[in-house]
Amino acid sequence: MQAADKLTFLLSLVPYLIERDRVSVAEAAEHFAVKPELIRDAVRLIAVSGVPGETNTYQSEDLFDIAWDDFEDNDFITLTNQVAIDDSPRFSAREASALIAGLQYLSSLPENADRAAVASLTSKLSRGASAVPSQVAVEGSETDATLALIRESVTRGVQIEFDYRGSVGETERRRVDPLRVESVDADWYLRGWCHLREAVRTFRLDRIENPVVTDEPLSKAATDVQLPDTLFEASPDDLVVTIDVAAAAEQLLGDYIPDGAQRSEKDGRVRTNVRVSHYHGLKRLIASMPGVAYVVDPPEARAVVEEWAAAGAARYR
Amino acid sequence: MPSESPSAKVPVEERLFSLVLALLATENGLTKTEILSTVQGYRQSFDRSGDNANLERKFERDKDDIRELGVPLETVASPGDPGNNQNLRYRIPRGAYELPTEISFSAEETTLLNLAAMVWREGSLSAESRRALLKLRSLGVTADEPVIGYAPRLRVRDAAFEPLNAALGRNALVRFAYLKPGEAESRVRTVAPLALVQHQGRWHLYAEEPGATVRKTFLLRRIVSSVVTTGTTFELPEGDLSAIALRELEEIWNRNTAVVEVEPGSDASTRLHKRRGTVESTPGSLELHYSDANIFADELAGFGPEVLVISPDSLRDAVRSRLETTVADHGN
Repeated sequence: MQAADKLTFLLSLVPYLIERDRVSVAEAAEHFAVKPELIRDAVRLIAVSGVPGETNTYQSEDLFDIAWDDFEDNDFITLTNQVAIDDSPRFSAREASALIAGLQYLSSLPENADRAAVASLTSKLSRGASAVPSQVAVEGSETDATLALIRESVTRGVQIEFDYRGSVGETERRRVDPLRVESVDADWYLRGWCHLREAVRTFRLDRIENPVVTDEPLSKAATDVQLPDTLFEASPDDLVVTIDVAAAAEQLLGDYIPDGAQRSEKDGRVRTNVRVSHYHGLKRLIASMPGVAYVVDPPEARAVVEEWAAAGAARYR
Repeated sequence: MPSESPSAKVPVEERLFSLVLALLATENGLTKTEILSTVQGYRQSFDRSGDNANLERKFERDKDDIRELGVPLETVASPGDPGNNQNLRYRIPRGAYELPTEISFSAEETTLLNLAAMVWREGSLSAESRRALLKLRSLGVTADEPVIGYAPRLRVRDAAFEPLNAALGRNALVRFAYLKPGEAESRVRTVAPLALVQHQGRWHLYAEEPGATVRKTFLLRRIVSSVVTTGTTFELPEGDLSAIALRELEEIWNRNTAVVEVEPGSDASTRLHKRRGTVESTPGSLELHYSDANIFADELAGFGPEVLVISPDSLRDAVRSRLETTVADHGN
């Protein structure tokens, strides 16, 4: 934790302890979703903290205190003296606005269509903030009906099945345990355990067709699988391609650039590697960044991209 | 009682925590000298006879950090001696610090807020959400459903987002180079950021130029320099600025219509059919809406031969010239 997070944690833990009278370290740790040791460290610090007081010398009546024996022997916390703090702190303007924007995003999903609940929470967060929350908003747009089916399959604990066109153009029926839904810009992705490939796979929602919620129970739950941070799963069969991209646009390719990729920058252009499962996915990606990114090497990859763009341009003649 | 040894290193969080406690406990405020000489974490390094410039700088930074967390640290001028900085007093008024007692969250609301905090995949919004959750948990309410790993996440890809969001929270003017659609050279703009809004998956900055009343919308993807936050602040105008920005973007989106032909059974056909607002006027011919012609042209160019733009002419030309650029960049 950073110092700012630690301070917030201390200021939040005190009112919780005041309210709870006597609480076990384990319960507090579970409530705050932190490791028990973090609770113990914080309690030890709180127990010796306080205000300078009348004498400016931190006398014992000016300090927090806890029932030490119960803490050391039984791992239970009881505050026996409290100073300065009674209640929970307000949210900062930016904290409130982060949660409000998150709520708006959720309310654009079919399963969280309860707009009234979102409006009431937004109002509470605004009133509970120390200043007017800054204006960060996500459009509440209608979204793919597939999302509702994915949610249903998670709630019922069953697999979902759909037709999926890979980037080479072949369509296969996939059965998947849904693990997470992510969106990047306007694009939505389902990440899940694919029973056909027996591996974690990422699917574009707008490429999913004929989705059906099955009766097969899930074999993997979200907590069983460690999802990689990047959107696409690395495979030993991946092809590595050298590209040249405008520095400002490099971030857009973040999910394709492998860890430890070679990278050099000159005159606002970056030369680095991307990994792709085959050149047919690459050609779509590169053709959507004209003048911004191009393939340097290998020649076969350059040829696939050139052919794709040339076929497109030919339609206008 | 805390250690008196001057060499004992007091952790940052202990110093900050002690500062908040001391300033909450005081009615009339403490002067800087009182704080530095008595509060845990400062007093260990305080020199009664000497120069405390380092310690004063540390206090200035701590004050900023604490305010960033939403703690309302106030400065009160001494009534008898208003111009004297040494006699300024600092305090944290309890009413402005504490969450109002009428605000409470049900277990159901707590569940929803837990999910809302998880939306932000990375970056400052994720850190802000995490801190907000700590404060929420201090109220002792437990969510009625455990947060399941299945939760929608949002990734923000625009490099300009973080600095703009920070400037938005501080009401500070920002400066950046912006590439206007249809222009070859970018131009440096200095604007007052009013709102950050996501429309059709793209982040936009709603802003106004200082001194001007006209408001403009900037697409973050078109900001081509790093964003500089200036030291100049401005007064935020009244009103639901993000709602106004979203409404204006929606109007533009509705107004811009393109007609394209898609290859049946192709990836372009599947995906463009699923775009919001798509109408299939005749088989294989789609009517689509868009907000930024250049960005939409990039998207359509990615489909290569699967898409043929029929109208408008400007979009048709834009897609064609993009495809030709890609051919030229990959030819021998």
